[in-house]
Amino acid sequence: MSGTGATGGRDPMIEMQEIHKFFGPHHVLKGLDLQVERGTVVALMGPSGSGKSTFLRCMNRIEEPSSGVVRIDGMRINELRVNIDQVRADIGMVFQEYNLFPHLTALANVTLGLVHVRGRSRREAEEVGRAALARVGLADRADQRPPELSGGQQQRVAIARSLAMRPKVLLFDEPTSALDPEMVHEVLDTMRELATEGMTMVVVSHELGFLREAASRVVMMDDGRIVEEGPPSQVLGEPEHERTRTFLGKLL
Amino acid sequence: MNESEPSQASFLDRWRLRFGHLPWYRRYEGLLLVVAVWAAGGAWLLPEAGRPDLPVALAVVAWYVAYFLAVATVLVDREKPTWLKRIGSLTVLALFGWLFVRYSGTRWDRVQDQFFAFDRMDGVWAMYLQGLTVTLQLSAVAAAISLVLGLTLGVLRSLHHPVLELFIGLYVDFFRAMPLIVSMVVIFYALPFIGIRLPAFWAATLALVLMNSAYQTEIFRAGIESVTRGQSDAAAALGLSGVQTMWHIVLPQAFRTIIPPLTNNLVSLVKDTAVAYVITVPELLTNAQHAVVWKRTPTPLILSMFLYLATLIPAIHFTRWLERRSARWVAR
Ligand SMILES: Nc1ncnc2c1ncn2[C@@H]1O[C@H](COP(=O)(O)OP(=O)(O)O)[C@@H](O)[C@H]1O
Ligand SMILES: [Mg+2]
Repeated sequence: MSGTGATGGRDPMIEMQEIHKFFGPHHVLKGLDLQVERGTVVALMGPSGSGKSTFLRCMNRIEEPSSGVVRIDGMRINELRVNIDQVRADIGMVFQEYNLFPHLTALANVTLGLVHVRGRSRREAEEVGRAALARVGLADRADQRPPELSGGQQQRVAIARSLAMRPKVLLFDEPTSALDPEMVHEVLDTMRELATEGMTMVVVSHELGFLREAASRVVMMDDGRIVEEGPPSQVLGEPEHERTRTFLGKLL
Repeated sequence: MNESEPSQASFLDRWRLRFGHLPWYRRYEGLLLVVAVWAAGGAWLLPEAGRPDLPVALAVVAWYVAYFLAVATVLVDREKPTWLKRIGSLTVLALFGWLFVRYSGTRWDRVQDQFFAFDRMDGVWAMYLQGLTVTLQLSAVAAAISLVLGLTLGVLRSLHHPVLELFIGLYVDFFRAMPLIVSMVVIFYALPFIGIRLPAFWAATLALVLMNSAYQTEIFRAGIESVTRGQSDAAAALGLSGVQTMWHIVLPQAFRTIIPPLTNNLVSLVKDTAVAYVITVPELLTNAQHAVVWKRTPTPLILSMFLYLATLIPAIHFTRWLERRSARWVAR
């Protein structure tokens, strides 16, 4: 499944080519290439400010790449004639700060996209929504609002919100960084399950245990560039680059 | 006698224990003495009722200030009970009222038959009903139009489009700086000279809408911007369009921030309808003023004052209730 860099002949789920991103004069992404094969989990890691979030957000164009090509499931999505809303509906995204909608119940958070983007009836949407909540172990919290839930529960609702849309791929931006330590495992367990079920995922995370177990490939970023990438045993175990070694050293 | 003596002694001992460490002016005996001397001085010094000459008036003021200071020492004293502080403050107010009644030269005998001459009000009640109806119509129409306009401009302004930003910014600045009475008079009395004639009611509506929608633009924009970037990111990631995000995610949350200033603005709008008096709109104040001329008594003006209060005080309490209700789902 996992490979290093280019994979001729296959059709990757996500293909990023020569991605550059400027914020004003600030050159944040400096020509990144990445392919994510179907059913694999690609992990992005690197020091704060290295551009991981920006790169991830370019994958569903929440952030507009300044130049380069983004392909999802073979289709180029950074073009004018693309209906980006329909594309985004197929790409789930989970944020560090959960970003649940605080004025809606957990169930309404999960069904919102089904009703207003997928055009499902409310009845149908609630059925799918309850199933999604059950899948993350929160069937009994359907009617509670986010402020009444713990951080770990909120993040699992956020995962259910993405899952309900039946996405082709899930993007995670440091999903456990805002959580109290005792809640980290419940979110990681959910993500691990998704990985074994064959969900394609891109995960920004520094949870080394989780990455060793679940990641097909680890990508080390620094200063808007990819330093090295490979299977976790290699990148986390015997990294080639000094930059990766010092970074891992600081994590431990 | 014998039995009560030990308890009396212990009461005095306790009194000394509790208050003995205080300076004389913070002790109850000291305060009582001060107030007694002050009252005696007043009985001896205070002039007859009526308007006193300046030096005498100053003496009266000094006498009042003396009492005020005595009460103030109680108010700033942490060890004095709250009930005493309340009574003290009330007596300061009451004393002011008494001195005002006694020395201001107001014709108190006239208050009753001038301000409350209800016996002369026949025929006026119908005018009030008419005036109140016009006031409410003007409020409702102006509020509805300015809400739509304010919401639209507020949403547009929150997009930070450079050109829209400029024009909306100019509009907002212009009508926030323009006194309502000026724009109303200009619309009604000046525009006809260049051929633009509006009926008084619609001239008043237009002026109210222009000013209040400018304020509301800023209220809506601030509310929209109070919703964090992460919320619209999450909505966009689900595939919601910009309009859907605004309608389902941003505005419902913005309303929590918006409700207090917005309801304030609407209460002001209702009050400001009285300005339409200057362009002859037959609203509440105009009709009251007509009734004053007709009945030769200011009673209708006093009554209109109470009518505004009776309409708006419940409205203000309703807004408080709304605020409390919307505070319920604020994040912990
Ligand atoms: N919206 C933005 N506007 C300006 N600069 C930004 C914005 N978002 C991110 N940046 C900058 O881009 C760089 C990379 O940020 P980010 O992608 O969040 O890094 P990471 O997620 O690896 O910590 C940082 O220097 C950050 O300050
Ligand atoms: Mg980040």
